[in-house]
Formats: sequence, C-alpha cells, structure tokens
Amino acid sequence: MILIHCPYCDEKRPEIEFANAGQAHIARPLDPSGQSDADWEAYLFIRANPRGRHHERWRHTHGCGRFFNAVRDTVTDKFETTYKAGEPRR
Amino acid sequence: MSEALIRHEPVSETPFVAEGVRISLAPPMQRHALRARNAEDLESLLQIKIPRKIGTSQGGIMCLGPDEWYLRSAMGTAVPPGEGLPLAVTDISERSICFIVEGPRASEILMAGCPLDLDQFAVGRATRTIYETVEIIVMRDAEDRFHVEVWRSFAAWLWMAMTSAARH
Repeated sequence: MILIHCPYCDEKRPEIEFANAGQAHIARPLDPSGQSDADWEAYLFIRANPRGRHHERWRHTHGCGRFFNAVRDTVTDKFETTYKAGEPRR
Repeated sequence: MSEALIRHEPVSETPFVAEGVRISLAPPMQRHALRARNAEDLESLLQIKIPRKIGTSQGGIMCLGPDEWYLRSAMGTAVPPGEGLPLAVTDISERSICFIVEGPRASEILMAGCPLDLDQFAVGRATRTIYETVEIIVMRDAEDRFHVEVWRSFAAWLWMAMTSAARH
C-alpha cells in the first residue's frame, strides 16, 4: 500500500484514507459571464494528462478531511511532494 | 425528554469475549463536533485546554483536523452553544456509538481491517481512519484498550467484522 504524506496531519498515512480530486491549481475565472464559450469550456473540462510529473489535488477524506496538493509521477505512481492548499505550485 | 425513550442499540449489549480480546459497547455519552478557525475561541468558550496537534486527544477532546475537534462527555454535561462567536458547536451524540476493544490482542483485531500501524500508536492518540470500508475514529485509551467510534448505521457491520476477526 502506498503511504501518502498529509501536510496537515504531518505524517504518512495509508492510501485508502485519501481521495484524488483531479488536477490542481485551476483557478475559477473571476468573471464567468465575461468568458467566451471556448475559455469557459477550457476551464470546465480541459485537463492536462501528462506522462510523468503531475500536480493533483488530493483529499484526506478518512482523516483530517482536508484538501491539499500533491506532485505525483503518473508513470511510477510515486509522490514527489505534498503541500497545503493555497501554497505556491512546486 | 429523551430519557423517557427506550434505547435500541444496533449491536448486542452483551460484551463479546474471545481469547485475548473483549469487545463491548460503551455506555451512552454526549458527543459534540467543534469547529473553529482559532482554538483559542473554543478554549475561552469551554474553559478547558484543547489539543492543537491533529491526531491527539486531551481531556475528552480529540483533534481531528486543523479546525475540527470531537468532544465526548458524560450524559448531562452542559456544553455551551457559543452563540455569536466565530465557531460551531453541534450536538452529534446519537450519530455514533463507541466500541471498547481491550485485551492483549486489541491492536491486532483492529489492524485486521485498519491500515494504520496501531502498535506504533501512542496512548492518548486519536484519529479518524477507516476499517475495511467503514469510517471510524480510533482512540488509544490505554496500552491495551482502544475506543472505536463508528456511525450508528455502520455499527452492526463493524461489530460483525471485528468479532469475526477476534474469533480467528
């Protein structure tokens, strides 16, 4: 079982306590009604699908309940680092 | 009012005893979910120290998350609602019930379904985690005694799972 470091609990916890919540660092446009259809579509639906280093949101669902960000390698499934939500991209 | 009602527990009120482990239902108690950005606000409301580190407990209060605490107290203890303060105190007494798992095999029985290494789980620690697929809160009360808080509707299944683990 993979152990994931939760930046809030500050310890490594088993993978099944966590839930993946998609790509990280996607900011909602401040003025949705001013967006073109293409921009809005890109915000809503278009996500990166890299082979390798990927920024993701995770949630420690069965633990502290917090969302945080993680850098995971999609090939090896190794977590490079995890950091609290709101902190700059690593 | 509620004292006049008959309690129906989802599991047997007779303790389950197997070699090296005893699983029993804890008597009814009050439970409160405490939410606040600043722990100091809760401390001034409740007039007690509350733990700051996630995964620890102190004086009946467990710190479950950065702004979330779980208070367990005896029936009838007054807990102020904290009106007007930037915090939330919610009575969730009947949401969960508590199993007491005790004996030399207590940690082994819990680890049959819980992925945490409970042998390394110090006395006084408390955390939300998972048992097979059921969310639980585990607290180590003593070297060979754990409290397991589980939502009432999951309790019958958890009881069945833990007593089967204990039979093996």
